[in-house]
Amino acid sequence: MANFNIDAKQDRTYQAIVIGSGISGSWAAKELCEHGVKTLVLERGKDVKHIKDYPTTNMLPYEFEHRGQITEEVRKENPVVSRCYAFREDAQHFFVKDKEHPYVQEKPFDWIRGYQVGGKSLLWARQVQRWSDFDFDGPARDGFAVDWPIRYKDLAPWYSHVEKFAGVSGNKDGLPQLPDGEFLPGYPLNVVEKHFQHQLKKHYGDSRHMILARCAHINGNFDYYAQQGRAKCQSRNLCQRGCPFGGYFSANASTLPWAEKTGNLTLRPDSLVHSIIYDEEKGKATGVRVIDRLSKEMEEFYADVIFVNAAALNTNLILLNSTSNRFPNGLGNDNGLLGKYVAFHNYRAGVSADYEGHLEYTTEGGRPTSGYFPRFRNLEKQETDFLRGYAAGFSANRGPYADQNGIGMELKENILNPDKWGPWRIGSHMMGETIPKESNYVALDNSLKDEWGIPQLKINVDYDDNDEKMIKDYLEQTSEMFEKAGFVNIRTRDDHRAPGLDIHEMGGVRMGKDPATSLLNGDNQLHSVPNVYVTDGASMTSTATQNPSLTYMAFAARAAHHAMKNL
Amino acid sequence: MNRRDALRSLALVTGGLVLVPSCDFSQEDILEAYDRLKVTPSMKSLLAKIADTIIPPGEIKGAADLEVPDFILVMVNDCLDENAQKSFMNGFNGFEDYAKSKSGSAFGELDNKQREEVVLTGLQEESEDKNELRAFLGTTKRFTVQGFLLSEYIQTEIKPYSLIPGDYQGEVLISSLNSEKING
Repeated sequence: MANFNIDAKQDRTYQAIVIGSGISGSWAAKELCEHGVKTLVLERGKDVKHIKDYPTTNMLPYEFEHRGQITEEVRKENPVVSRCYAFREDAQHFFVKDKEHPYVQEKPFDWIRGYQVGGKSLLWARQVQRWSDFDFDGPARDGFAVDWPIRYKDLAPWYSHVEKFAGVSGNKDGLPQLPDGEFLPGYPLNVVEKHFQHQLKKHYGDSRHMILARCAHINGNFDYYAQQGRAKCQSRNLCQRGCPFGGYFSANASTLPWAEKTGNLTLRPDSLVHSIIYDEEKGKATGVRVIDRLSKEMEEFYADVIFVNAAALNTNLILLNSTSNRFPNGLGNDNGLLGKYVAFHNYRAGVSADYEGHLEYTTEGGRPTSGYFPRFRNLEKQETDFLRGYAAGFSANRGPYADQNGIGMELKENILNPDKWGPWRIGSHMMGETIPKESNYVALDNSLKDEWGIPQLKINVDYDDNDEKMIKDYLEQTSEMFEKAGFVNIRTRDDHRAPGLDIHEMGGVRMGKDPATSLLNGDNQLHSVPNVYVTDGASMTSTATQNPSLTYMAFAARAAHHAMKNL
Repeated sequence: MNRRDALRSLALVTGGLVLVPSCDFSQEDILEAYDRLKVTPSMKSLLAKIADTIIPPGEIKGAADLEVPDFILVMVNDCLDENAQKSFMNGFNGFEDYAKSKSGSAFGELDNKQREEVVLTGLQEESEDKNELRAFLGTTKRFTVQGFLLSEYIQTEIKPYSLIPGDYQGEVLISSLNSEKING
């Protein structure tokens, strides 16, 4: 019997455990497996195999009963996730429904989640802009949060490493605030986007730019990606369904199958992590407690090193729930800061306009990206009454439409032959940096639990005065730039959306130099439990303005190599 | 049983009834496929006539040929909120009386031109007491256009939809586009 127990324990022992199979967890797993480390990846949701489990990927518009629309019943039952732009009939099965996984909103927070193998990497917007030292220097220069323990040079080789494997299309733009990377050929900007580019140059010199947004899509080097079983992006723009070509980077299409091929990966779906086991004698974490999603039975798994990549807020939840005599307030939480200094991206504002030039032109075909307006505010020095700045998306679109007045044969022929050409439609949306604050926090609810007996997360995150000032500035500056570019009918909006809908929540387990004021060191290890690494959004000290996933991938790959030095 | 099978078998049972002009719908079965609406087979047949007035058959098929009336009811049943459903149904129930008040006879007895006139006039009504009629016709028109354009027939035989749209061209002269006309 004793031997049996030893065997059973050995069967459940790996060299590394990665909690979470999404964009950052799959990167940690890929690096570890590739270098011979026996790795267990735990995923709380169901398995999603590349292609096989993309049920809607090749469906035609008429095959959707509601032609893509979410039904009223689903919308009413799921007010939070229904606010997400990608929660539609074709991809609703990849999103967490509100009722299935409740949480406590001390203040309104739209928590958008994807519980399945691959996580939200199936659903993301695939924008991959590098951060720069204007971002990593930010907290120290502007006196908020704590100083980042790393700088751009520490991450640059890892950006290159992940860009090359994931496949990033873009142009070398030579902008210090948005460093160039390992790019596959970029997609074209259209004639009006180029016009705007030239107008910015004319009116603002070299201080403001509009460039092609870099995106994680394969647009070159095809033989190399064929090794992953991935092919050229076909510009279907149906990414949220899962891509049968593997045209964009997802864990399911890329890192997970790659890790699997090594023979070192054990992927365990339907495995909710309850907590991390801390051994006081050994002074380190020794494994995790897992609840089977279906049977609800608890089991333990063991490893020398543990990566926590459960997505930013769930990573906080797992650490907060990992209590022991040594860590009564959550694993590694000696300073009481675990769960605090959460921040996000401010997506509240947008500006749209029309352009009545270049009316002889239109566009054809598809592209998986659009224009991008890198941060220009407070870049070299503080120059406004708010801290930090914003980036923005930018695009110009045109297509024919039909006169839909009237009925009968006239209407029928009109809609079959759309031949009206309005002006170009111009759109921009803001992506603002928010300042991490102690008052923006997540914590465990004292009484409410989920279906598996795990405490519910309560979320207390809000905008502040800095965000309001930034919105005002974005609206003013964008309107001014649009006006100078000759755009007309300029409309500004602030939709007052709750935080969370940006799906860029970050922090709570921040990196820093000093164990008294941060949770993680410069290698993403918990200061007081160095065999536990956190490399997802939870580890972010500040948020920058760029879409953060690429940075999580780079941190995950870098930390995996750091961990392997000690295995 | 899925919605289409349910419809088909109901059509068999009530097939005869559909042809009987009747103002008293209470004698008829309610179509179970649209569980949030109270729609009888003769109402659905009236809706088909309205949809066909909005997009009539011609060189290519029209709304009723493409199961657009079913699509309209599915969308109203599943995707509109209760208030919008209520307006739609009130407008729907009042439509036959409206047609009679405008033309002197039941909608089904009018020729195509007269039907067009009734529907167009209804869509353009401005008075408040016609809000629900206008909502009904507006919703019907919207879903007729959507259901027609996104039907399998249009998307495969008339204007084939491609999952792969081709490489992006950002500067295409409109004058260079192929503008072969599709006749209705």
